[in-house]
Amino acid sequence: MYDTTRTESAVSQQDIKISARNVQVYYGDKHALKDVNVDIQDKTVTAFIGPSGCGKSTFLRCINRMNDTIDIASVKGEIRLDGEDIYDRRVDPVQLRAKVGMVFQKPNPFPKSIYDNVAYGPRIHGLSRNKAELDEIVEKSLRGAALWNEVKDRLAEPGTGLSGGQQQRLCIARAVATAPEVLLMDEPCSALDPIATGQVEELIDQLREQFSVVIVTHSMQQAARVSQKTAFFHLGNLVEYGATDDIFTKPQDSRTEAYISGRIG
Amino acid sequence: MTDMPLPQTGRAGARTKGSLLQADSRTRRRNAAEKRFRAYGVTAIAIAILALVFLLTTIIRDGASAFRQTYLSIPVTLDAEILDPQGNRDVAEMSRVLTLGYGRVLDAALDRSIGSLELNIPGLSEGDVDGIVSREASAQLRQRVLNDPELVGQTVELNVLVNGRIDGYFKGRVTMASAERDSNVSPQQLLLADALAERGLLVTRFNREFITNPDASDQRPEAAGIGVAIIGSVYMMLVVLFLAVPIGVAASIYLEEFAPKNRITDIIEVNISNLAAVPSIVFGILGLAVFINFAGLPQSAPIVGGLVLTLMTLPTIIIATRAALKAVPPSIRDAALGVGASKMQSVFHHVLPLAMPGILTGTIIGLAQALGETAPLLLIGMVAFVREYPGGPPEGLFDPASALPVQVYNWTQRSDPAFVERASGAIIVLLIFLLCMNLLAVYLRRRFERRW
Ligand SMILES: Nc1ncnc2c1ncn2[C@@H]1O[C@H](COP(=O)(O)OP(=O)(O)O)[C@@H](O)[C@H]1O
Ligand SMILES: [Mg+2]
Repeated sequence: MYDTTRTESAVSQQDIKISARNVQVYYGDKHALKDVNVDIQDKTVTAFIGPSGCGKSTFLRCINRMNDTIDIASVKGEIRLDGEDIYDRRVDPVQLRAKVGMVFQKPNPFPKSIYDNVAYGPRIHGLSRNKAELDEIVEKSLRGAALWNEVKDRLAEPGTGLSGGQQQRLCIARAVATAPEVLLMDEPCSALDPIATGQVEELIDQLREQFSVVIVTHSMQQAARVSQKTAFFHLGNLVEYGATDDIFTKPQDSRTEAYISGRIG
Repeated sequence: MTDMPLPQTGRAGARTKGSLLQADSRTRRRNAAEKRFRAYGVTAIAIAILALVFLLTTIIRDGASAFRQTYLSIPVTLDAEILDPQGNRDVAEMSRVLTLGYGRVLDAALDRSIGSLELNIPGLSEGDVDGIVSREASAQLRQRVLNDPELVGQTVELNVLVNGRIDGYFKGRVTMASAERDSNVSPQQLLLADALAERGLLVTRFNREFITNPDASDQRPEAAGIGVAIIGSVYMMLVVLFLAVPIGVAASIYLEEFAPKNRITDIIEVNISNLAAVPSIVFGILGLAVFINFAGLPQSAPIVGGLVLTLMTLPTIIIATRAALKAVPPSIRDAALGVGASKMQSVFHHVLPLAMPGILTGTIIGLAQALGETAPLLLIGMVAFVREYPGGPPEGLFDPASALPVQVYNWTQRSDPAFVERASGAIIVLLIFLLCMNLLAVYLRRRFERRW
């Protein structure tokens, strides 16, 4: 398994966006993530799959240090973003999160207008000098999230009044608006119906042109549809990581095979 | 009660196939249980409403008359000989003339006016005639003349307070029969009062002085007012508002959003809950020991009352604020942090606005509690008899004052039944204040509640 990772990283050394080495996560005494090593490439969709409770979200939350907000969580090991250790003492997690955006499992728009939802990030990070620029960012982000045409006439209406799929795309637009370099998505479609899921998946494919996208999903079909790379987690271990096609057609590890053929899950 | 499985009747697991049109015995029993439960609820609410209605009607019946007062309008010749012996209208000189002198002026005026009416009331003595006006009347007249010395020498038409018993006669508290037995009033005086009322000289009108006057001594219930008590209560509320609200809200935000969850914060949390349950009189003892004996703040001062009430209100505000903060879904915090907001930004931009209605309601409930609190104030000397209005804030916070609930307590201790009316009147004012605060809480709640 370690070999796979190494050969992968050797191929596209300069394109590596995130590299994790020996990452351990503990929730109190519980060892939730064991010795994870992975290199995530830029401008690629990487899918994390695995049975529920195996640590996919935990690892995802390590990448933007959202685990810092959980008192009992402690992270060991090293995660580098563009070669810089994000757990270095000098790193401000707030600054990191502006670079590494996140979309959550349940759509969680702010109880504010659609416009303000998208404009919030740019505002607090000072990405615009005036209203016109901000308007432009909002429009670009909403277009980027394939939502513009649906909401352009009601930007002042509450974001929470949208349908579930629209809300999730609004959250994506909100994440995109801060111009991140990496976009983390934790089961972004699990609360959505198939049509909305289709829209979001299409969107993810477009987002790949600008960002490195990491998506957690419990649906193997979804991983196969949207991702180029797939990592399989099991009981806190990263069992196998490689090109999505390889993982699904010729898995190396028996546990991966068991999972994708539906025997564990 | 309702979700407990009822004992199965008949064969276990077997469900007799019955018609849907007829409720089976199990359904009937469940429906009966539900009906009973509803009946309990309705009874409880009915009892509560009855108690409330009874309370309010008693208070209003006893207290509404405090807002009306009987006055005697008579022409008074302000005799310069008596009131300004030097004849130079110098206020300093004139203030040497005590209330006694003004009493003589009033008595003369009374005797003259009533004598001129040629009433034929057998057994009416001159003392009876002089006694129908309040003992406070001469003091009020003196105050008025000292404020405006030019009045001396003139004859002015005055509305003077009548004695509390006469006032009580017009409010139905005093009757001929009770006057027979009462050393403070005679039936002749009541007859005189009737005759004066017939001629339109005795009038009962709205009693503005009840709201503005300070307290009065035992013999003068007719002059007693809640002016000083209202000022004292308002000052204390200001102290609580400016201390308890910022401290309480800041402490809650820190504890809820920033503080690490460890042993120390656990202990603090338990202690805050305990403090909320500490009897208020204990806070009074604390205030006495710390603010008066140790810090040397003056007794009876609204600042001390306010500080004690602040301590008492803090736990209420903290608990309400923390509950409001807890009720904000964590996903909102995640969302804010996820786009790179700092902890502080996520709290102040997103969490606080959502928690605002709850915080405001909790705060106002805390303030309302503080407004009605009596026990701790007794211990720090707010029960003193205060006739002087405290000065304007902030210095006035250190002047002696009373407080509305303490004034109520104080008046209920006095023997003259006229003070019962005053106490009930003060309760009405207190209830109106509380009602206003609750309405404000409802209004703010509506105003800040997000409609999405
Ligand atoms: N906040 C937390 N506190 C304690 N344990 C947690 C917490 N979050 C997750 N865990 C535990 O860590 C393990 C991995 O969880 P998670 O990463 O959410 O799994 P996944 O997203 O793959 O379903 C689970 O066993 C879970 O119980
Ligand atoms: Mg998860």
